[in-house]
Parts: sequence; C-alpha cells; structure tokens
Amino acid sequence: MLMQLSIAGISQGAIYALIALSLTVIYRSTTIVSFGHGDFVMAGAFLAYILVIGLGFAFLPAGLLAIAAMFAIGIVFSRGLIRPIRGGPHIGLALMSISFGFALRGIARLVWGREVLPMPRVFDVDPIFVGSIIITGDAIFTIGIVAVLLAAFFILLHLTDIGKMVQAVYQSERGARLIGIDVSRFHDFSWGTGAALGAVGGVLIAPVSFLHPDLGASFLIKGFAAMTLGGFGSLGGSVIGGLLLGLAEQYAGAYLNTALIDITAYLLIILVLLIRPRGLFGRKVVIKV
Amino acid sequence: MHTPAESRTAPRWIFWLLPILALAIPLATNPYTQFIINAMLIYTLVTLGFSVVIGNLGQLAFANTAFFGIGAYASAMAGNALGLPWLLTVPLAGLAGAAGGFLASAAALRGIRLYYLAIVTLAFGELMRWFYTHAGALTGGTDGLALDRGDIFGLQLNSDTVQFYIFLLLTTLLVAGTVNLLRSRLGRAIVAVRENEIATASLGIATSRIIVTAFVWSGFVVGIAGAMFALHTGRVFPESFGLTQLIINFAMVLVGGLGSVIGAVLGAVALTALPEYVRAFPGMEEIFFGVIVMVVLLVMPKGLASLLRRVSPIFHETHHRD
Amino acid sequence: MNSRAKQFGLAAVLALLAVNPAFADETTGITDDSISIGVMGPFSGNASSYSKAEIGLMAYYQMINDEGGIHGRKLVAIQEDTACDPAKAIAAAKKLIHQDKVFMLQGNSCSGAAVAIKPEVVDAGLPWIVAHAVSDTISTPPSANIFHGVPTGEANGNAMAAFVLSRPDTRNVAIIEHSNDWAHSYSNPARAYLKQQGIEPVLELVMERGQTDATAQVLKLKQAKPDFIIGALYEAETAIFLRDMKKYGLDTPVMGTAGTDLENTLKRVGDLDTVKNYFVVHPYVDNLDGPRMKKWADMIHKYYPDEELTNFSYIAIGSGVALVEALKSIGPDLDRAKLIAALDAIKDLDTGILSSPITWSADERRGVQGSAVAGFVDGKPTVLEAWQTPYQ
Repeated sequence: MLMQLSIAGISQGAIYALIALSLTVIYRSTTIVSFGHGDFVMAGAFLAYILVIGLGFAFLPAGLLAIAAMFAIGIVFSRGLIRPIRGGPHIGLALMSISFGFALRGIARLVWGREVLPMPRVFDVDPIFVGSIIITGDAIFTIGIVAVLLAAFFILLHLTDIGKMVQAVYQSERGARLIGIDVSRFHDFSWGTGAALGAVGGVLIAPVSFLHPDLGASFLIKGFAAMTLGGFGSLGGSVIGGLLLGLAEQYAGAYLNTALIDITAYLLIILVLLIRPRGLFGRKVVIKV
Repeated sequence: MHTPAESRTAPRWIFWLLPILALAIPLATNPYTQFIINAMLIYTLVTLGFSVVIGNLGQLAFANTAFFGIGAYASAMAGNALGLPWLLTVPLAGLAGAAGGFLASAAALRGIRLYYLAIVTLAFGELMRWFYTHAGALTGGTDGLALDRGDIFGLQLNSDTVQFYIFLLLTTLLVAGTVNLLRSRLGRAIVAVRENEIATASLGIATSRIIVTAFVWSGFVVGIAGAMFALHTGRVFPESFGLTQLIINFAMVLVGGLGSVIGAVLGAVALTALPEYVRAFPGMEEIFFGVIVMVVLLVMPKGLASLLRRVSPIFHETHHRD
Repeated sequence: MNSRAKQFGLAAVLALLAVNPAFADETTGITDDSISIGVMGPFSGNASSYSKAEIGLMAYYQMINDEGGIHGRKLVAIQEDTACDPAKAIAAAKKLIHQDKVFMLQGNSCSGAAVAIKPEVVDAGLPWIVAHAVSDTISTPPSANIFHGVPTGEANGNAMAAFVLSRPDTRNVAIIEHSNDWAHSYSNPARAYLKQQGIEPVLELVMERGQTDATAQVLKLKQAKPDFIIGALYEAETAIFLRDMKKYGLDTPVMGTAGTDLENTLKRVGDLDTVKNYFVVHPYVDNLDGPRMKKWADMIHKYYPDEELTNFSYIAIGSGVALVEALKSIGPDLDRAKLIAALDAIKDLDTGILSSPITWSADERRGVQGSAVAGFVDGKPTVLEAWQTPYQ
C-alpha cells in the first residue's frame, strides 16, 4: 500500500509541480504571483477540447495550438492589463490576475457552463503493472513533462544569457533597463510563457480531472502551496514542494483520515513556514507589496 | 495637489452628516433593498478592516475572511450555546476576531511576509472553514448554525429596518474609531511601517507592537462585522467564508482605494450593489465582476476614492496609499 | 453624541412603525392573463450544473403557456440566481417577494440556500414549491406555505439503503462522501436506515470537491472489503472515484445519489466496465433515454435547443405538473390561500415523470415519498426497484 500511495502521490505531485513551475516562471521574471493561473489552466484545457471535439483536430496538434493560443492570451493580458498598472501596488496586480481569471471562468461557464465533460487523453497508454503496483500512462507522461520542463528552465535560467536577463530584471527593473533590456517586452514574454505552461498543465490535467469551469481553482491553491513550500522563485523548490504535497496528501488520507486530504496543503504550509519563513529553498525577496 | 495643511483645515464634521442622513434610508426601501443596504454596512467594516492591514500596514495578509467567519461563528455559537442575546455576542465576536488578528500578526512577526504571509493567512482561513465543517454540533457542521434572533428592547431583530439602525450605529462608530486610530500617532506609525519598516524601527518605534495593533484592530472590526452578518442572514454556513468571499473582499478594498477609509465605504457599496444589478443577466455575474474590477483597476488604479479626492480636499486622507 | 443618540431613538421608533408588515395581498402577482412565479436556482457559480432543474421547469411552464395557459393565464417565470450561496439566496427571495411581488415561488436547487431563505418565505406566507433541493429540514416540520415536490433526502437515503440491503448478503457497507450539506442530506438518512437494520458502516471516507485522485480512499476500501459502497459525490468526483476503483481493481458495487446519472457518468468515464457496478437514485419512471422520458426531453429541447440533458434536467418537472394540476382545479378565481388548499388536495398524483406519486397534506409536505434506483443491466441503464428487480 505504501508503494502504491507513493506512486499516486508522486503523480498527483507532478501535476502540482507543473502548476507551481509555471507560477514560478512568471514570478521569477515579474515578481508577480499569477493568482488567476488556475483559470489559465482551465482555459488551456477548454481550448484544446474545442479544437478536438468541435473542430476535429487530432489531439497533439490541438494541444499545441491551445498552448500557443494561451501564450498569445498571456501576452495580451500582460500588455493590456498588467503593463498599465505596473507601477502601482503589487496587490493591484494580484487582483488584476484574479479578475481576469474570474472573467475567463465566467465565459467558460456561459458557453459550456453547466456540464462536466470527459477530456480525451493525449496518449492513451495502458497502465503498467510492476508486481501489484499500477502506474498509469497519464502519470508517466506528466512526470516526464515536468522533468523535461524543469531541466529546460534550469538550463535556460542558469546557463544562458536569458537567465542573466531574468536575474537582472528580478533584482532591479531600473538597472535592467539601464543596460538595455526591454523590460516591458520581457514581462509580456514571461506572462506568455507562464500562460502557455498553464495550458500544458490544463491539457495534461483535464483527462484526469474532467473538464469543467472550476477545474483550475483547486490546482491553483495546490500549485501556490507547492511554490510556497519550495520557496518562491526556486524552480527545483517548486517541483520538490509539489511532490512533497502530493505525497503528504496520500499519506495523510490513507494513514490518518481522508477528511485531511483537503487541508494537508494548509497544514504543511503552516508547519514549514513556522520553521522556515521563506520555504525550503526560498531566497530573500526584494519586492514591496 | 492638496497639502496636508489644507486637509487639516477642511470641515471634517460634514462626514457626520452622512450617517445622520442615512437614518432616513428605510423610508425609501423595501425589505429587499434594505437587506442589500444592510449588507453594504457590513461589508464596509469588512473592507475597512482588510484595508487597514493590506493598505495602511502594507502586509499581504488574507486572513480577513477568516476574521469575518470567526466573528460570525462566535456570535452564533455564543447565542446558541450560552443563550446570550445577539447584542451581547457582538463584543464577543469582536474579541474573537481580534484574537484571530493577533494570531495572524504572530505569523508576520515570525518573519513570514509577502506572498508567504498571504498563503499562511489564507491557509488559516481555510482551516477555520474546515473546523466549522467538521466540528459537529458545536458549529452545526455543513447545515450551518441558525440564530435565534430574538429582540432588543422589544424591537424584533429579524426586521431588516431594525437591523439597519443597529448596523448603522456600529458601522459609524467603528469607522470613526478607525479614522481616529489612523490619524493618531499610532496610525502614522502604521503607515511608517508600510513605507519602511527598518527605518521606522531605527527611530526607536517598536514596530512589532505597531504590527500587532493593526492586525488586532482589523480583526476586531471584521469580527464585529461577522456578528452583524450572522444576524443579517440568520444562519451561518462554512461556505460563506471561503475563497469567493475572500476575493470579493479583496476586490472591495482595491476598487474603493487601498488604505482609504472613504474607499472602504465606496468599495463595499459598489461591489455589494453590482451583483444585484447583474441579477437581470443570469449566469453573467462572474464575467461582469471580473470585467468591472479590471476596468476600475485600469481607469482609476487608486480606486473610487481618488475620484472624490479630485473633487474636494476634504476627501484627502493622510494615510491612504498613493 | 447625546443628540445623535436621541435621533437614533427617534428613528428606531419610526422604524418600528415602518416594519409592521402590511397584510399580504392574497392575489399579489396575478393578473388576468399571467401568474408570476419566482424561480430561484444556482445559475452561476460552481454548483451551476444544478440549475438544469430550473431550466427544465421553465421549459414546462412554456409548454403549458403554448397550450393556452391555465384558465387564460400564462405562467411567467422570474428567474433569480442564488449561486448556491445563502446570503445571495436571501437577497433573491426578498427581491422576488418584496420587489417583483411574485405570486409564488418554485425551484431552488441547493439545500443550504433553501434552508437559509425558509424564515423569509414563512414570514411572507406565499406558496413555495421546492422543486430540487432535498433537505428534509425545508419541509419538516411542515410550514403553512411550503411544499416539497421532489423526493427528500430521507426518501432518497432510504431508497439507497434499501437497495443496498436488497442485495443478498450485504453485511458490510462503506460510505464515501463530500463534506457538505448536499452529501449529508443523502448519507445521514441512509445511515439511519442502515442502523435500524442493525448495520453500522465499516468505513467512513471523505472525498472533497476538486480532488482529482482517490487512491487513498480506494486502497482503504480494498482493505475494508465492504459488500456495498454508498457514494455521495458530485459528477466529476464520482467519475474520478469510479475510475480509480477500476484502476486498482476494486469492483464493489457503488450506490450513488440523484446528483449523478448513469448515462452521463458512462460518457465521462468512457467505458462500461468502469460503471457497470454503479447504481444511482433515479426518481423517474424510465431511463433518461427511455421512451417514457422522451416527451420531456423533447419539450426541454424545444425551448432550450442547446441544453445538454442530465438527471437534473427533469427533476423539477414533476412538481410543475402538480402545480398545474392544482391551478386547474381552482378555476379562474385564484388566490394564494386557494392554491395552498388545492396543493394540499393533491393525492397520489401520477406526474408521468416521477417514479413515485405526489401527495400533500397539511401535516406532511414531503410530497414524494419514494425513489427508484437505476443500474446497468446487460449494459443498458435500467430502472430498478430492488437488486436485479426491474421497476414495474
């Protein structure tokens, strides 16, 4: 039972890690937490669904198109809604992303609203049996994607010039501007990337969670929690935080009480932050609210 | 631009006309519109308490919905378990909310700040909601806890009009109290902590005491709002104090104007009224809410209160967030 | 301060005068050619799939109107959103009663919201037919003006438990549910029924809304080896739970609520093998795609062509049939008291849609006392009376 729980915990945790990773990408480059991210996830999944069911696309091109569309939506969101209030208080930016997410959710509900739809799988792989342990195709696929993304962003941030740019903008926007970085376009691009990653999450999650307008809401909280546990801004931290949360939920549910699964994230956060106020791998934060 | 000197000479007493004029409101309402206006008074306090912490003190704490729930449940539980009349549960609810505020401030003093503080306080709120859901007969579980509203000096408390006068009094007192707090030396210290905590500490001001005070006052005000909410709906449910409530409260603060008392009133009134207008378009509420908040943030990033500041210097507040 | 206090006192006295309720007009909301009916439902928010019930009800009104109405009057629905939120529901009820001045209320999908508005409706005294929410608290003890037009939690919970026990050798029963009033309104009566039969659940589990994995729950169930599982879960979580049961090789039968149906659950999980042991409370005379339900499906699609039909779509129609029956019996001279009396005169009404008849009286307002169950028989959704016993 322990093995099976651990595997389930890691595959759930990989989903949380994916959300946390996309939140971290935005945070690292803009110092904003995208509180509307759950709805980006949902919107990505819905777009893929329309392309597959409505327009008859094959799943893979549909998924890629949805991801591209969310990249564009992320850029438009950054340009049109974040850039004009960039100089204002940080919580204004937080509320902006919440409100945008609210509107997206409202639109999804209005159009498909009151259904819970099945989402086809990206790759329909039969589960693998290792002794009595079952590993599903979804799980392998999600874990694989998270590993690839983590590696890609790690290389990008630590071994390339883009990484130095990200660091420069994070440290001081004014300084970055002085050395010739177009900070605004950089931010737009980061939002686009974050939204696209959210869509990756949506496309992977929806076959597991089923498709409905509220599917992003709980994942946002879990992703946010994973990011907090790992420490804001740390790529590896957000992935470890996600996995840790996934495992903790399964263990708490199986060995203590299933009523605790829902609050495991909260208990874990309070526990970890009381001991380490900046999460497991967090660095000093420079922004002002 | 208005200088502080100008605002100090402004005739502030005219603000007292507002609650006095409001006394006539029930003449023009039906029970439905009165119910909505009562909600506006409650949300004025919720928004104000929230704004003190995120606007004036500058801490990203999301526990205000938790304080709201704590106040509501404290009132309903004291009424049910101890048989106290509602009016006596009000100070209890305030104290319970203040205790919640103290806990939240302890997290901030532990060095949990910014987004970390945001999620810790959010977690606190969700844990409270879990408690209400699973505490069985004590909280009524998911069926909620009904209030025996009873009467006060012979006035039936289930009347929206009677509730209105009580709420108006409580809201007026707590708004005035908050204004006085913010204008006092302590209030200036709260704003100083927001602007630069280290510099404030270096002036010999005990910043931790300032932080605790702001949180506790916020919890007290919102806790009382919780007791009012319990009376207002007659039954408290765990679901009333979840994330949707939090987002709406948060939006009220920013739509009104961060850190502004006038803004708290305006934000609460505007976003309580909005869903009622949207009733004519079933299923559109989320879209309207999202779009309108986005537009306000874009067009007047300093909130509705900034419109008034343009009209007259008397609306200038020294402690609001520019 | 002193003068303010005086003013406050004066205002309070004025208020006292103002709050004396005017006598409710017995014919409020009726004109020569219309009857206005407040229809509250969760048209927004995360429980909006329930509002399909109100859509079905309003389609029924429109069909009646197209047939000429009742004694020359059309049924005019005034739709109000509750978002399943108690405070919003109270506002909606007050608006319908005091501002729109409707003649009566029919609808309401969420028990919490319905329980919250009950005091308001009782005070106002207008007839209220609860057409979807199941909590028994709404109609027990009976109030003068409140009628329950769907099987209540007790009827459903009993139906669930009775079905579970109708399977030979059911000894161990496990329960899995959401921690909300909706789930409890099914599981608590089922628990009570089982207890009467001397059965205590061997395992009580929680699966909250939004959870996308049920591994911990399923593994615990595998260890406890129940003969039957009672599952009070919403649509998405039901599908996830059944999928995880299949994944981990647990094939215990599951008794679900009226919150899900077989046809759509099958559509969601995608293969029959996963749902073949799933049973649901099914308060209807036929399968959702059966011949006796077709006329209702066609009716809804006539007025709401894009509406996807689920279990919820039909649930409020039975009470609509009862309302029309009562209105017809009154004749053209209509008022609230007459309607209440006419509703109380409804006995054993076969609505042609609900599997149990509607009977109301002044001391029992839970009009629908039973519910059938549906399960897959030879791969086809089938209405059942008991284990392996088809309905009628």
